[in-house]
Amino acid sequence: MWRPGGIDRSTSLLIGLIVLSLTLLTVDLRASGAGVGATLREGVQGVLSPVQRAVSTATKPFAGFVESLSDLFSVNADNNRLRERVLELEQEVAQLQSLENRVREFEALLGLATPAGLDTITAEVLAVGVSEFDHIRVISKGRNDGIGVGMPVVDEGGLVGRVVSVTATTAHVRLVVDPIESVAVRVERTGETGWLSGRGSGPMVLELLNSDAAVLAGDILVTADGKYPSGIAVATVVRAARSEVGFSLRTEATPTAALSRIDLVYVLVYTQDSPGITVDDGSGRIPAVVPEDPGDRTSGESDEEPVTTTTTSVSDDPTP
Amino acid sequence: MRARHILIAAAVVVVAVILQTSLFARIRPFDVAPALTVLVVVGFARHFPAETAMLLGFGAGLLQDLLAVSPLGLWALVMTTVAYATVRFRGRLEEDFGLMTPFVFAATFGGLFLFAVLGTIFGEKTLADGGAVKKLLVPAIYNAVLSLAVLPFTAWTIGASRRPGTEFRL
Repeated sequence: MWRPGGIDRSTSLLIGLIVLSLTLLTVDLRASGAGVGATLREGVQGVLSPVQRAVSTATKPFAGFVESLSDLFSVNADNNRLRERVLELEQEVAQLQSLENRVREFEALLGLATPAGLDTITAEVLAVGVSEFDHIRVISKGRNDGIGVGMPVVDEGGLVGRVVSVTATTAHVRLVVDPIESVAVRVERTGETGWLSGRGSGPMVLELLNSDAAVLAGDILVTADGKYPSGIAVATVVRAARSEVGFSLRTEATPTAALSRIDLVYVLVYTQDSPGITVDDGSGRIPAVVPEDPGDRTSGESDEEPVTTTTTSVSDDPTP
Repeated sequence: MRARHILIAAAVVVVAVILQTSLFARIRPFDVAPALTVLVVVGFARHFPAETAMLLGFGAGLLQDLLAVSPLGLWALVMTTVAYATVRFRGRLEEDFGLMTPFVFAATFGGLFLFAVLGTIFGEKTLADGGAVKKLLVPAIYNAVLSLAVLPFTAWTIGASRRPGTEFRL
């Protein structure tokens, strides 16, 4: 029972364990992801990742069954919506085909690289973060496969996130919707640049540098230069916005990648030091790229410099 | 209590963490999964001596920390606190078993809230999550429902039993 007059053994132990936890926290933050904490993490993840892989594989049929049950409720509405969408997309495809040809010609003229030209490493998603607040995916490839910290990860829909830690056989990918992530983006339709910040399971926040520029619902946002190669689809604008007063324009966007249901991802063999896609027309008026990516806004986190060495297995067919 | 009980409890905690990160990656009604490890820690903390229960909570939290990318010690602190709260209230819970489900709800919600606050303090921007309230409430509801199966299971794994009107004994 609780003894107001004194501290019993369990309370003393609680205080001791809290102090120990806070010490661990401080040491780990000071070590910036290196040191004993990193060694322990690598060891534990190395031991548990095969088990996670086995459990994930074994439970896939059961989980798939549960997923399909939940899908039944929305299947009719989805069918109608998808039929309409197919018609729209068929028209868009025809238009895009000709645009793509023109873009390729221009790129060839300028000698630019494209994300599609990057080597990729295909990986399976093994596990998720330990809580709902961890916007993390554990993937089945690691340092031994050529993956390094900082490399972008995409799926068929677009940008998924980036690698934030690597063990020999696995890697942790922080999703683009994590609140500590922000991405330099460009509105594909207008070329206006800005920042896209994650808000967990809420819609992402788009902040455009030019407050006079309008964005429309459905506008696609693609990566500008920085942590990621240019031109990868990141999000779709949810609401049209035009700034009334203020220095920047804010609105919301949803990720183009299917973050809640990713099975396979492609890690792009790209680091910030890789040859980027920068266009300097000399006029200084229209920035083709965002000058500097702010990176994570969290003090205390500093990922080690990405490894840009070799890649072992490469390229199924990424479609960033 | 024997070392065997602790080993079994540790194994169940490891299994819970693995299920949390693999099975519940896909089974996520309303896009949220239960906080299974918290529930298992509550389950064992009902039966173990106070110090053992808290050390088990600390260990479970540390394991979660090692699998996460959040700073080491964050989950350890949260799980230790959850185990301590369970130890403090378990006498009353055994007197009125109907309080168990509300307690599991409160312990899960409180644990996740503590994690969110500490995470924000230590730079994880956890409370900036647009769905923070949902991520606190829904796992707590899931845990309250699952407690009807998981708590008897944890008691069974370590052979805990109870005679009416008495506390659980190993």
